[in-house]
Amino acid sequence: MNAELLHAVDGVDLPQEYRGLLRPGEAETDFQGNIHGLPRFFYEIRSWQDAHEIRLASHFTLAELMLVDCREARLLLSQFPHYVPCAIVLLARFLEDFRREADAPVFISANGGYRSPAHQIGGAKSIHAWGTAANIYRIGDTLLNDAKSIQKFGSIAASLSPAVFVQSCGSQLGQTDDHLHIDLGFVSLTPRGCSEAL
Amino acid sequence: MLHVDLSSTFKEEVERLSAESKARAIAVAVHDLEGGLRFSLRGDRWFHAASTIKVAVLLAIFRAADEGRLHLGDSLHVRNRFISAADASPFHLSPDSDALPELYRLVGRTAKISALAEGMIAASSNLATNLLLDFVGVEYARKVLREAQVDGVELRRGVEDHAAHYKGINNEVTGDGLLKLLSAVRGDFLRNESKEQAIRILLEQRFNSMLPARLPPHAAVAHKTGEISTACHDMGIVYLPEREPYIAVILTEFDSEGDGRREIVAAISEAIYRLIVGAEPRANER
Repeated sequence: MNAELLHAVDGVDLPQEYRGLLRPGEAETDFQGNIHGLPRFFYEIRSWQDAHEIRLASHFTLAELMLVDCREARLLLSQFPHYVPCAIVLLARFLEDFRREADAPVFISANGGYRSPAHQIGGAKSIHAWGTAANIYRIGDTLLNDAKSIQKFGSIAASLSPAVFVQSCGSQLGQTDDHLHIDLGFVSLTPRGCSEAL
Repeated sequence: MLHVDLSSTFKEEVERLSAESKARAIAVAVHDLEGGLRFSLRGDRWFHAASTIKVAVLLAIFRAADEGRLHLGDSLHVRNRFISAADASPFHLSPDSDALPELYRLVGRTAKISALAEGMIAASSNLATNLLLDFVGVEYARKVLREAQVDGVELRRGVEDHAAHYKGINNEVTGDGLLKLLSAVRGDFLRNESKEQAIRILLEQRFNSMLPARLPPHAAVAHKTGEISTACHDMGIVYLPEREPYIAVILTEFDSEGDGRREIVAAISEAIYRLIVGAEPRANER
């Protein structure tokens, strides 16, 4: 991992236009009615080139975990710097383990890694706003668009840690039928050298 | 605008073609922008829209761009999963029935909105259509049609939504409605840049066996076809260098899929040309 390109910042020190979108440390109620603190510490990414060069794990660059479409807030979509929660390094570490167990390349969909609290899909209620969730649409040559493949690889992911949550296959709310959703819970990471004092 | 009764010769020709083809119904609507001549034959009859509805989605996309709701250069997640207008059940499209199967290779990744708009019209891609309509929303697209004063175009859902079709929730159009839609595309409803880009996309149409087929080769036709088992349509703006363009809409309905449907539309298009231009498209020019 080329850590020299990763520069952690405290979200509460960001300009208002960013704080309004990222809402660092603010409380948010999830879809189940539970309250969580949104991520406060972020890596500041200066360009797409940096995002492509930052390898968070052997087979995962930062770029593929922060690819969003135009449903993202304009400021966070079209201009740099971008900000991603520091816990994204934990997701990459898990995905690397998962890739090894699946024994095939793992592909994260657009909008399937980190999405800001201002993203039109799920917004701050989605665990994707913590940078600890991934939507996997393909593993090797297998498209995960049927129950058999989603269940097979979901079982592998779940076997890696009790902290891993895998959405079940189906078309109801909280289920998926065209990708595998995995997440590590509402994890926030405070890098060394950063203070949580307000 | 000058509204006229159709010449009896033209009417007779359309009725003859209709009878020969065993069409259940044929509708024609024309607006000549050179002299303002405008006429229609069964222009208020409703037909299944088939892929002509994609022009309504095109108008909505460019209107959204004009309003700053989207940027044509933006990327959109390509996902083959849509929600039925009938019962909110998920459905997906098959690349086998899409004229742009290569778009399915981008599932999971992103595509530019401008490229999707081109794919929706030029290749009549159903996946591109549903992605764009899903993004802007059916209600927004309907609002755009109202603002453009386009009645006669009922946009209710995306394409290949079979659950909705079984419940009778379909996209429907009239000849007069599609005429208004094309008029909105080329009129002042869109900003100049958007209008030019929308027409350029329509000019890139790959399926040219109907409206343009029997016109002189120097005619450029910005158009969109629509075909399902019981319908065969074409709608477009015919550009001729020697005169102002004319807009033509030809809608046909049949009991079942059969041969010769496109040829009927092409023959009616030729008859419109003769009526408007007052000359035969010279055989050696075709």
